[in-house]
Amino acid sequence: MIDTVLSGMSSLPSMTLVPSLAQTAFPDAMASSTLNHYLFVSAVMFALGLIGFVTRRNLIIMFLCTELMFQAAGLAMIAFGRYHMNFDGQTFVIFVLTIAAAEAAMALALVVLLFRKRESLDANLWAELKG
Amino acid sequence: MTTMLVLTILIPLLFAVIVLVRPPEAAKFWALGGTSVCFLLGAMIVGRFFSAAGSSTETMQAVASLEWLPALGLNLSIGVDAIAVLLIALALLLGPICVLASWTAIPTDRARLFFGWLLVLQAAMVGVFAARDLLLFYTCFEFTLLPMFVLINEFGSTNRKRAATKFFLYTFTGSLIALAGLVYAAWAVATRASGADLGPGGFTLDIGVLTQYASAVLTPGEQGLVMAAMLCGFAVKVPLFPFHTWLPLAHTEAPTAGSVLLAGVLLKLGTYAMYRFVLPLTPVAVYEYAPFIGVLAIIGIIYAGLICWVQRDIKKLVAYSSVSHLGFCVLGLFALNTSGITGSVLYMLNHGLSTGALFLLVGFMYERYHTRDMDQIGGLAAKMPVWSFFMVFFVMASVGLPGLNGFVSEFLCTMGAFTSYTPWTTDELNGMVGATWGPLGPWFGVAAGTGVIIAAIYLLYMTSKVVWGTLNEPDGHDDDHSPLPIDLGGREIATLLPLAALCLVFGLFPKQTLIDAVEAPINEQIAFIQQRVTEAPLRDGTLAAEAGSPTSKASASVLNESSNAAGRNVGVKP
Amino acid sequence: MTGITGTILETVLTTAFAVADPAAEAAGHAGAHGGGHGATSGGALMALIPLLPLFGAVLVGVFACFNEKSKLPAYATVGLLAVAFVLTLITYLGWNGHDPIQVRLWDWIGLEWGSGGVGQTLDAGFAFYFDGLSLLWMLFVTGLATLIGLYASEYMEHDAGLGYCRFFGAFNLFVFSMSCLVMGDNLLMLFLGWEGVGLCSYLLIGYYYKKKAAVDAGMKAFVVNRIGDLGLLIGTLLTFTTFGSLEFTELFATIGHGSTASGAPLDATWQVWAIPLLLMMGAFGKSAQLFFYVWLPDAMEGPTPVSALIHAATMVTAGVYLVARMMPLFVADTQLIALSVVTWGGAITAFWAATIAMAQYDIKRIMGYSTISQLGYMFFGLGVLATTGGVFHVFTHAFFKATLFLSCGAVMHGFAGQLDLRKLSGLWKVPGFKIVVIAMLIGCLNLAGFPFTAGYFSKDMILAEAWVTSDSTIWGSSWAGWLMLLTAGLTAYYTFRVFFRVFVGPVEYHPGDDLHDHADDAHGEDHAHDAGQHGDHHADHFHPHAPKWAINLVLVALAGGSVLAAGLYFVGDHHGWAGDMVHASSAHFDPAHIGDHSAAVAGVGDAVAGGESHAGDAHAGDTHAAHGTILGLDPHKYMYYISAIVGFVGIGVAFVLHFAGRTEAATSRADSLARAMEPVHTWAERKWYVDEFYHFIIVTPLKVISHLFHWFDKLVIDGIVELFGGVPKASSESLSPATQTGVLHDYALRMVAGVAVVLVVVAIVLY
Repeated sequence: MIDTVLSGMSSLPSMTLVPSLAQTAFPDAMASSTLNHYLFVSAVMFALGLIGFVTRRNLIIMFLCTELMFQAAGLAMIAFGRYHMNFDGQTFVIFVLTIAAAEAAMALALVVLLFRKRESLDANLWAELKG
Repeated sequence: MTTMLVLTILIPLLFAVIVLVRPPEAAKFWALGGTSVCFLLGAMIVGRFFSAAGSSTETMQAVASLEWLPALGLNLSIGVDAIAVLLIALALLLGPICVLASWTAIPTDRARLFFGWLLVLQAAMVGVFAARDLLLFYTCFEFTLLPMFVLINEFGSTNRKRAATKFFLYTFTGSLIALAGLVYAAWAVATRASGADLGPGGFTLDIGVLTQYASAVLTPGEQGLVMAAMLCGFAVKVPLFPFHTWLPLAHTEAPTAGSVLLAGVLLKLGTYAMYRFVLPLTPVAVYEYAPFIGVLAIIGIIYAGLICWVQRDIKKLVAYSSVSHLGFCVLGLFALNTSGITGSVLYMLNHGLSTGALFLLVGFMYERYHTRDMDQIGGLAAKMPVWSFFMVFFVMASVGLPGLNGFVSEFLCTMGAFTSYTPWTTDELNGMVGATWGPLGPWFGVAAGTGVIIAAIYLLYMTSKVVWGTLNEPDGHDDDHSPLPIDLGGREIATLLPLAALCLVFGLFPKQTLIDAVEAPINEQIAFIQQRVTEAPLRDGTLAAEAGSPTSKASASVLNESSNAAGRNVGVKP
Repeated sequence: MTGITGTILETVLTTAFAVADPAAEAAGHAGAHGGGHGATSGGALMALIPLLPLFGAVLVGVFACFNEKSKLPAYATVGLLAVAFVLTLITYLGWNGHDPIQVRLWDWIGLEWGSGGVGQTLDAGFAFYFDGLSLLWMLFVTGLATLIGLYASEYMEHDAGLGYCRFFGAFNLFVFSMSCLVMGDNLLMLFLGWEGVGLCSYLLIGYYYKKKAAVDAGMKAFVVNRIGDLGLLIGTLLTFTTFGSLEFTELFATIGHGSTASGAPLDATWQVWAIPLLLMMGAFGKSAQLFFYVWLPDAMEGPTPVSALIHAATMVTAGVYLVARMMPLFVADTQLIALSVVTWGGAITAFWAATIAMAQYDIKRIMGYSTISQLGYMFFGLGVLATTGGVFHVFTHAFFKATLFLSCGAVMHGFAGQLDLRKLSGLWKVPGFKIVVIAMLIGCLNLAGFPFTAGYFSKDMILAEAWVTSDSTIWGSSWAGWLMLLTAGLTAYYTFRVFFRVFVGPVEYHPGDDLHDHADDAHGEDHAHDAGQHGDHHADHFHPHAPKWAINLVLVALAGGSVLAAGLYFVGDHHGWAGDMVHASSAHFDPAHIGDHSAAVAGVGDAVAGGESHAGDAHAGDTHAAHGTILGLDPHKYMYYISAIVGFVGIGVAFVLHFAGRTEAATSRADSLARAMEPVHTWAERKWYVDEFYHFIIVTPLKVISHLFHWFDKLVIDGIVELFGGVPKASSESLSPATQTGVLHDYALRMVAGVAVVLVVVAIVLY
């Protein structure tokens, strides 16, 4: 399935501007997938996350959606890093992953606390900032 | 000694953690232990410093550096010169005093919060004075805000939240602008200075390197902007008129220990930073705009002094008196001569002692009567003779009675301003007599002198209301239901005695204890500033030294002859 | 720190107890002075003179800590002061009579900068300087302090305990400060003493701190003095920038060369008159002259021994000392501008205060105004170049005015604080008051200038010089002299007005409302508010409280001293003993050369160097023939007669108006005269409304300005600061009901929308 998506992407005319220099640096196994494939996946993931965050009211689902957006950004960074043969992107992603792990622990703990207070996970029950 | 210096920063932090994990009843004991250990370390540092330095107190000692992010030129480096070491000693001395002063005032259930933050504050204060790296300096500088915010916000009186917020936001905003100025100077050094040791990252925040090169690479115009940016932060901290309005509020609302540290040390961060950064980084701009700043300082002296006179709240009165007193401090600093800057440095210490003690005394009174309103309380001499004795003593130290510490610094600051530029003694043939090179002038000295009268008026007015007269206590006051003794107890006297003793020693032996210690680094600083100002291109592009007297070349040794003539062209004449 | 402490200890020990060699000290300043200091021994003793009372203050403090209730603090004080007096005497006897002695205890304030040339070091040591002037002052300061301390041991006995300790602690501190003032080796040391005596004066005036009047008077004294001190401080700074030093020896040497330290001729500079005027401002503040006099009458709120010692005999003469000490500067000006101001300032004050004294009823206040008036005489004397006369008057005045005050104090002590001369009469016949009355009489005769008293001689020396010195030298000096002669008459009148009313005549007395003169007395407040009802109530069963041995002894000693002081006029080579002392000090100058700059300062240089110059003398009428005359007569000879006549007239008028035919305490013949002179009499009684005037033109406006500043600070300056926080807050508050729903999704959606808008804009801009 992924293959089809990727091949579908590569056929998009507007996104085939891949410099030959970079392409030659790609290992053979990845030759077929260009930067644009990754960016497309990243964009889709981000969009899914965003839509999920805005539409769902369950705190855990919303939290998962933010994670999705996180990883989307990470994916894009890795792709760019690989593309420019610069490892800063990957460094940052590892950094982000670490932070995200810590943050996930915190966030889930908070969610549990919130649940205890209202016996519900509905985000709309919390409107303390109103005013 | 380096180890001891590092320990004075780390031990309070360690004890802060201990305070947090131990039961609340033990908090004050741990805090007292921590601050006392640090005080002893501080005393040893001072002893070692001056015995090691021998004749050359201008050298940095206890220098140590730890690479942190070399790529960005960030190091954790520390080191102290005579001025820093004295201010560190002041901060460390006030530490145990503050803990003792808060012994009964803080409810036990919240003692951990209070003493924990007090210890953190102490570490941050020492960090500021010990820092030799801009980032470390700035971090500590800002980090003093947080503990103080908590102390005011949680332990202050009725209007505390507002006071804490205002204090935090006002000084924080100012400091951010100052950071911009400092970073600009660092950037200029990194990009333009040739021969500077920039380290592997090609960028350095080392204070020594910056002060050495920044003034040479910044154009006079840039120096003006950088100085303005730095003053935004430091003048708020001092506070210099008209940036002072946070201070009376914060002082009034802060708990006693908070007020003592605020007046004793935190305000000095501003003047110390001016000495450490503003003067050496932007000497040309300082020389040019010093009269303007001098005028602000003098307005502060007189204006805040007069406001003191109509206060009813004793603590507010003492707070405004700080504004007035710090005016002298800034005035001396910008006189750019030996007596002025020496006076200013001495003022930092002396004001910390005498005003700190005044805040302690007001705090002790407040703890007994729960009011600071002079209309509700008075004539305490009849009931609290010991308290009254100390009150009169420290009022006199604050008024500037010769023989006590305040006079020495006030006299030197006034003299610095007065002699800063004295045209009648600068006879071309005979060189300079009695006067020194500088941007201010006799009228600044005269105007500052009126502050001496005003100080007498408002402080004696307070004394006559609170100490003398017939006994007046707030309605419903009952001595029997107070856990405190009627007059000061042994613990309270113990907090005041060392301060009183130091006031006397610094008043009677200022030369042996302080002036000799700080004179060398100050003279070095002044020689540096003179050189930079004399070499600086004027607005019309010529060199000041050439414009002034064609024969003299500016060099440190002949500066006194040449720079004065040059000074007339650079400076805005008073 | 150990190093520093070590240095201090070493300095103190070596100088105070092992004595730094005075010759070496002198050599240290030789550059300024051309050598010639006699290395007299006694330096260590000298250093002990101020340190003993300082130790006394500490000792009394220790007594206070142990809540000592006996008279121990007083006796300790008196003992230490007596030792100090003896040490002064030993120093005086061992002194060679011309060379100043210097002792440096430790460096006090010192700085160096630049390449270290002249004027690039500030060096003010904690050091002492002894010449004739300081010795003369120290002799009567320590002597009188000892006696008055003894007097106070009885006078203050009601307050045994903390109050007693407070009194004697401040008393000791005062003597220490006064010693520093008089013995200071440089202007900063002088300033240390100057402010120190101000502090002690403040503490002691406000001794009865439950009385608002006393507290206010203390504050007034301190603040008014501070205004003068500003002049002194600026004068000091200007001296430094002009002459490059604050040390007396260096300073006088530089002035002696007739140039500033930078070599510019002194004549051409404005500092030559500005510095003396500024110093004079300080002197006038401390000595209650001209505009500054208002604090001294109020200072009478303090206990009487304090009024006697501080506000009559010693502290208030510090201004005279300062002018005399800095005489080289004052005469360096060929125009003598400052001295003319001193002359007229003194003359006007003397006259003005005498007019007020004539109309007052409070005997202590009369003595207070009389002090102001007599200080005016001293300044007048210095102004008309009668330095010796001025200084001698300080000395005699110290004795007889202390006698007068202490006699008044004995009355006050005996009659429960009664001071109103309308309520006391005929004390001569009250048992136990004979010594008081005799002492009072001796004091009054001195003050009135009765022939052959000490006050008579010292006043004559001053008055005669007013005509000797020509009007062109000191502007209008003979006119000021006539004013002073008139004042002498007024003085005789108001002095004997007190004597005839209170001490002789029909016996009648009403006690004051102050039965217990306590400061720390729990009943203190009661007395304050029912004072009105008490008067007659007490009279029924009131018995005067006659002074005991201490007070009587001191009165006898002082009265004797006042009498004997007259003898000092006849000894010595330079018109009395005081003349000798002045001659061997910086106050000496050569009057023949006044106006001729170079020669005048040469004379000064000689005097300082202890040279053998006898070319001229302040009072040397017989050595040079051509000087002014009074009505064609030689003032030196005829002033004896003129001033005696004036004094007799004053006493006679007082006799007629206040003694002859008086039958009761409250009224006299003067009452009808006073009524005839309305409103002048009321105005004089109300002190010409000067206090009210000052209040109106200075205090009230300043208070209004302070309040304005306070509001300005609150509204404008803080208002601007608050705007920075207020504007964002207000704007967000106005928007909040619509936008701040508190629902997370709303915020998220808005954020997304915002990002979308930004993206669209970017896209439009890029493509």
